[in-house]
Amino acid sequence: MSQKPDNHFKVEQAAASDDSIQQVHAQLLGQKPEKKDGYPMLPLVFLGVMCSAVFFGSIYMAHNSVRFDPLVVNEHAKREKPGAVKVAAVSPHDLGKRVFKNTCMACHQENGLGVPGAFPPLAGSEWAQGPEDRVIRIVLLGLNGPITVKGQEYNSAMASLGGVLKDDQIANALTYVRSEWGNTASAVTPEAVAKVRAELAGRTAPWTAAELLKIGN
Amino acid sequence: MNSNDQNARAEQQEIDASAKWPVLVFFGSALLWLLLGGALQLAANIQLHTPGFLSGCEWFTHGRLAPAAQNALIYGWGMNAAFAFGLWLMARLSATTLRHGGWLFVAAKFWNLGITLGIGGILAGYSTSFELLEMPRYVTLLLLVAYAIIGVWVVTTFSIRNTENVYASQWYLFGAAFWFPWLYTIAQVMLFKAPVRGVLQPIVNAWYVHGLFGLWFVPVALAAIYYFLPKLLGKPISNYYLAPLAFWWLVASTALAGGSRLIGAPVPVWIPSLGIVANMMLVLPLVIIGLNFLGTLSGRFGAVGGSLTLRFIVLSIAGFLLSSVLGLALSMRSFAAIMQFTLLVGLRDWLAFYACFSTAMFGAAYFFLPRLTGKEWRSTALVKAHFGATALGVVLLTVGLAVAGSQQGHLLNDPAVPFGDITKALAGWHTFNSVVLGVLLVGHVAFLINFIWIACPINSQGTAVAQITNPPVLSLAAKEGHA
Ligand code: HEC
Repeated sequence: MSQKPDNHFKVEQAAASDDSIQQVHAQLLGQKPEKKDGYPMLPLVFLGVMCSAVFFGSIYMAHNSVRFDPLVVNEHAKREKPGAVKVAAVSPHDLGKRVFKNTCMACHQENGLGVPGAFPPLAGSEWAQGPEDRVIRIVLLGLNGPITVKGQEYNSAMASLGGVLKDDQIANALTYVRSEWGNTASAVTPEAVAKVRAELAGRTAPWTAAELLKIGN
Repeated sequence: MNSNDQNARAEQQEIDASAKWPVLVFFGSALLWLLLGGALQLAANIQLHTPGFLSGCEWFTHGRLAPAAQNALIYGWGMNAAFAFGLWLMARLSATTLRHGGWLFVAAKFWNLGITLGIGGILAGYSTSFELLEMPRYVTLLLLVAYAIIGVWVVTTFSIRNTENVYASQWYLFGAAFWFPWLYTIAQVMLFKAPVRGVLQPIVNAWYVHGLFGLWFVPVALAAIYYFLPKLLGKPISNYYLAPLAFWWLVASTALAGGSRLIGAPVPVWIPSLGIVANMMLVLPLVIIGLNFLGTLSGRFGAVGGSLTLRFIVLSIAGFLLSSVLGLALSMRSFAAIMQFTLLVGLRDWLAFYACFSTAMFGAAYFFLPRLTGKEWRSTALVKAHFGATALGVVLLTVGLAVAGSQQGHLLNDPAVPFGDITKALAGWHTFNSVVLGVLLVGHVAFLINFIWIACPINSQGTAVAQITNPPVLSLAAKEGHA
């Protein structure tokens, strides 16, 4: 360094002029790197690094981009294309359980036993397990007046649910009710519900037990 | 000394003279912001271990103080210093004077007025909710107009250059001159002017923050390092032929790497994944730039002690390497799972901004200020105090934030530890960091005093005139230990 000791840190002296820096480095850019043992090692190493960076980068992206799906925020989400995986089959019984929990459980209770004196039981009920033409009608238009279930007299009202539930929801709910808690009646198909709904077109009044007993004998 | 040499020196003096006042105005404002920002930062940090501190005044509650400090440092100190250094070096390397400097005063006025209003706005409670864009909307236009003037000056100075060859420092300065307005306007438009919805906002914000450090502050620092190593060591950059590759690779990767800040966030998962890949790609330019710098330094470490600028530049190189390595580590999902949202993430940005960028600016200033003013530094003791405080501060704060950050990360991941206990456990480290921030502030005051003695027309009367010798010509023969 050309600094005098007393000049230490007072002024920084340059060791190269600006234009010579530019010139020398421009020369260096044009120059091939020195060859040792016949090959320029460093550029080869960098070529290798670049290629493997691109290679592993692409693999990583393929595994962690989840098809660039804007709705997927977790890299552990399933990577298969939609449709490539078989949709797990859900039985009408399981679907019906959801409808039951959302709609019927409030009155008939989760265990299907109802509330004595207010809501009749579905578990073991001869009505629930009776002809499907009757239960479909109950759910579609509701039920009014006295009814005997498992030897108990009830006199209350069930609202009509045909407006809020679709055919398949009603079918599934009834299928569930008719095969849960030890019940052993046949499943109800959406077609059967649709058929009854069509037959009842125009009627809005709820059923009475007496009326229902005339149907489906 | 032949007449050619003298011509060269005379030409440089002309350039320095043309750059003198614009650069001094920018750098002087930068230093004032450095002190103000440092004081605010210290106060904000004290609140982390002594919550009652200044809490009586709503202007100085932590939620306002912390962003005000951050913005004062980034836009006040950082940008002003980068403007000063960038304008000077661009003129020098383009071998042309800075024309029509008066416009640059206007730009400096606008810029600093904008920052003042912005910081005031944040303290008054008008801050926005976006990191590093907290300054209220009304300053945006001021800043953009000011920046437009500065950017145009850098670019035109480059395009009327009188040199045949273009050097690495110029690539980085020229690039940075374009990248900042690109990042800033896109962020402003997408977050404020025509705000994008919901989850896109943090994505744009993360991209901006990442770009601001990676495509503005770090390139300016690299420009300084590339310039001063050969300039002061009298030795060409080793493996320079790889530098262009590093440049392009760095730019392309950094522009895409912002998503790595969002690891684990509820954003489309391909965005962090892309960020991670882009960040990992940075290994290549990192190795090249490391070879460039360390290869040039190797065998010459003895010379570093004797040159103040080189000491700062070495600090800056260390800061660059450290912040890059930490950035790589933080973009690994398993590491980020623990360290996300801890002080360690702040450390990465602080390393890029302070340890890498700011130290480079200090080093550059110790070189160009005597040349612009024709005076030498009056107090060697203050110079040493500044360097000592900065070096000590960088080392200690790195340790402080790293240890506290990893402790915080592990505690946060332990469901058995209540949140309040984590805060208590970190109080000791926060106190330690406050002390270190105080040390840094002392160094900055020392620098400011020396700056006033060298640059302020009234106070510099008694300062000795600098004897600047004509630099020798760099030759290829000086190349040694080229691997
Ligand atoms: C608002 C409460 C309520 C809801 C909801 C309700 N029910 Fe009822 N349900 C009753 C009442 C009350 C009766 C007895 C009506 C009466 O006394 O005439 C009844 C009677 C019945 C009966 C005949 C008697 C029995 O216990 O077997 C069936 C079958 C039945 N409901 C099925 C359902 C199904 C299936 C659902 C859901 C789709 C449902 N109910 C939803 C209140 C309700």
